[in-house]
Amino acid sequence: MGILLGLISLLSRANAAVLALGRGIGVACVAVMVVFILIQVFFRYVLGNALPWSEEGARFLMLWMMGLMAPTAFRRGGFVSIDMVVLMLPTRIAAIISLALLGLCMVVLITGLQIGYTQVTGFAGRFTTDALWLPANFALTEWFKVPRAWAMASLPVGLALMLSVNVELILRSLATFFGAETRLPLIDGGQTLRAE
Amino acid sequence: MMLSLFLPLFLVFLFLGLPVVFGLIAAPGILLWMNGQERDIALLYRNVYQGMDSFPLMAIPFFMLAGELMNRGGITLRLVEFAQALMGHLRGGLAHVNVLSSILFAGLSGSAVADTSALGSMLIPAMEKQGYTRKFAAAITAASSVIGPIIPPSGIMIIYAYVMGESVAALFLAGIVPGLLMGGGLMIMVKVLADKYDFPVATRRQTWGEKGQASLKAFWPLLTPIIIMGGILGGVFTPTEAAAVAVGYALFIGFFVLRTLTLRELPDILSRAGITSAVVLLLVGAAMAFKTVASLARTPEQLASIILSLSDNPLMLLFLINILLFFVGMFLDAGPAIIILGPILGPIFVSLGVEPVHFAMIMAVNLTVGLATPPMGLVLFVASSVSGEKVETIARAIIPFLLVEVIVIFLITYIPAISLTIPRLAGFL
Amino acid sequence: QDIVLRATATSNTDDEDYDGLVVFKNYVENASNGTIGVELFIGTQLCTTGDECLAGVADGSIDIFVSTSGGAAGIFPYIQVLDLPYLMSDDRIAEEVLTGDFVRFIRDKALEDSDNTIRLMTVGNTGGWRNYANTERRVTTPADLQGLKLRTVPADLPQELARGLGASPTPIAWPELFTSLQTGVVEGTANGITDIMNMKFPDAGLKYLTLDGHSYMGAFWFMNNERFMGMTDEQKTVIVDGFAALQQATFASPKRKEIQAYADFREAGGDIYVPTPDEKEAFREAAAPVFDWFRSNVAYGTETLEAFTVAVEAAQAKIDAERAADMN
Ligand code: NA
Ligand code: NA
Repeated sequence: MGILLGLISLLSRANAAVLALGRGIGVACVAVMVVFILIQVFFRYVLGNALPWSEEGARFLMLWMMGLMAPTAFRRGGFVSIDMVVLMLPTRIAAIISLALLGLCMVVLITGLQIGYTQVTGFAGRFTTDALWLPANFALTEWFKVPRAWAMASLPVGLALMLSVNVELILRSLATFFGAETRLPLIDGGQTLRAE
Repeated sequence: MMLSLFLPLFLVFLFLGLPVVFGLIAAPGILLWMNGQERDIALLYRNVYQGMDSFPLMAIPFFMLAGELMNRGGITLRLVEFAQALMGHLRGGLAHVNVLSSILFAGLSGSAVADTSALGSMLIPAMEKQGYTRKFAAAITAASSVIGPIIPPSGIMIIYAYVMGESVAALFLAGIVPGLLMGGGLMIMVKVLADKYDFPVATRRQTWGEKGQASLKAFWPLLTPIIIMGGILGGVFTPTEAAAVAVGYALFIGFFVLRTLTLRELPDILSRAGITSAVVLLLVGAAMAFKTVASLARTPEQLASIILSLSDNPLMLLFLINILLFFVGMFLDAGPAIIILGPILGPIFVSLGVEPVHFAMIMAVNLTVGLATPPMGLVLFVASSVSGEKVETIARAIIPFLLVEVIVIFLITYIPAISLTIPRLAGFL
Repeated sequence: QDIVLRATATSNTDDEDYDGLVVFKNYVENASNGTIGVELFIGTQLCTTGDECLAGVADGSIDIFVSTSGGAAGIFPYIQVLDLPYLMSDDRIAEEVLTGDFVRFIRDKALEDSDNTIRLMTVGNTGGWRNYANTERRVTTPADLQGLKLRTVPADLPQELARGLGASPTPIAWPELFTSLQTGVVEGTANGITDIMNMKFPDAGLKYLTLDGHSYMGAFWFMNNERFMGMTDEQKTVIVDGFAALQQATFASPKRKEIQAYADFREAGGDIYVPTPDEKEAFREAAAPVFDWFRSNVAYGTETLEAFTVAVEAAQAKIDAERAADMN
């Protein structure tokens, strides 16, 4: 039990730190998304000169917002589920079901991660974005089109973070199963978040 | 066809407590794998990703953010005070204020959940202090917050338009009257209950001067829906851009007009909005993938032929479909339900002569009401966590209000003009 | 059925793509004596964007997919050669070019660029020719396009073209276009008449149509290469002939459909203008910079444009000779 709790404490701290970083970047993504679209409106409506890149750029950021911030919701119990039936069952049985479901989540996450990796590194990742250009040198004389793979990587990264969270949740529910619930470290912001 | 078992399998997972997102992917994924259709699991994955990579959907995080900013910026409080100045003196004053605040808040926010948490945390304690039971206060908060996504802006309408290729602007316009009707209906029920149980009044009748003062304080926030809809209809911006403009406007009044926001609060606000919309996006992606497998299994065609074999009278079918939707709404979130059922049901009714925008309203309003019904009632969950009352208790207390909402659903269903008049006047039909 | 091919088009059943697919399905199922089946998925049931659908073709979860040039430009940018304006004079030339070796030239390049996973089977038509249509005024010269907020797809080439003609290119998603035209977010679009009428754009105020026919709306039909190469020669013949029948069907379909579409457009109060040869020449001159842009910015652009020009000249010569023979 001591080993399990030690492992949980370690993973819990690691996840908390990585997800905090993810949230930080996610916050920047949201802010820049708003700025991009406001600039887009300004250029088109006021200057009469529509920008080709703003929309795609904002979508790029939205995907990363999802990949970096959804894992936090997963860890805090913010993924919607029905708990009514499980609450009616005896604690032990409920704990076994909950473990089985977390195992299922793990299969989904690992499969998704595998496919995601082949998508990003394979043929699908070779497409370019439509209108996102970045400078290829410091003199800004050469530009290249951002590969779609850079946007596509958001989903596997999100899945990897969720997988790490999932392992922590499994260990936590194992500890709960063996009656050590009160000795688990708290999850910051846990159980306060519900999404529509 | 074994593949069609994905629907029952999904329901089993859902009841066992698997998060909806995982259920939407695991159920069809497992069956594809058992069927040896491994190449289609990649198809599933790609649809999750592509389902999220959409510009129209970006309106969801933006409206979420705008709502969050307005709430922190003290705008919710001003709306409630304004509502109180208008209706606080009636019997059951705060209950009326609760409904009216939801209507006003609906013009700024696109989500029922945001409505419940913003107004609930303010009004439920206030109502309790005046002697309402906690379960009643939570119930009226939950019931009235479904107006949020019916009156524009609306996350649910954005999702409907995205999946069905309808005009967001037309759906926004169509929702105005149904939303007001919902509010009016709830107020009538409040009045009935207030007279019966002798609810307290909240304040004395306000003088015109006091009313004027409250309106003045609520002026800037109340301008938001006018800017959003005016800008969309005036060709200044698209609905998604309107959502970004709403964020800009909320920042502007928060920092410069009311000066209630501080820079230090911003990261937390952005973070909350980001996390919430990340979950919605992932849910949309998963539902799009689920829909793909439904297509592979030819479920839409099968369901359509079953539905059409029941009756060929559109009025009868609309009745049956409302019952189906209400039932689905009890178990599924409005967003995924629209993504999965919209493409199946929409074309059937359009071919029977129902206006697409009208059908969109029937579906969106019905499933929105489902947010306030157990067992899967997000709004109930939030009302429960805000009030500290048990979900089951709120679910019982909300029944009279649900009754009103069901009546409104049928009014919307059988009187198309309720939904269609405004979009028609604006030239969308 | 030994083989079931999964074919998808992201348009709808009113589109020329669907007409082609129905013909293909019927031909293949009959000619193979029922051993090859074709399952149609019309709309965005399996995939939504060109990128996504082509990734599906590459990994075999989709067997057949039809794309516009813009939809596949993210991986095969050179196929936008068809979007270059005023290169082909009419349907006969276009059909001659697209039934010839030019398509094989593109096929080889696409196979190379997709690690032998995506095979271009044929190029048909989807919606006739692109014309300029707008809500504001009759367009007879490039000057009339000056400052017009013109909707384009997000790809570079159409935007360069619009900019070259003096318009202000505005990327708007197709489903949002109706509302954007209606509210004035954009004032014009470049589409074929059948798409304009399918989307009921006149109801959104689209009134002025100039039949400059600046580019041919090619539809690129792709197939999973492994799937095709894994067939017997007998089966391959059926598939190749099926695509030939499909191509003919999509050539014919817009010609038939646009009759009603033009009539409906006029009835809705639309103004149709056919530019004179001089006016068309003015458009051609104004659009010239986009050719330089294509050569220097599009990978494999120079070679493709050259091959295309050669094919068009040969087609022109052949059709001219046939015309002469038929007239004497
Ligand atoms: Na709203
Ligand atoms: Na519900």
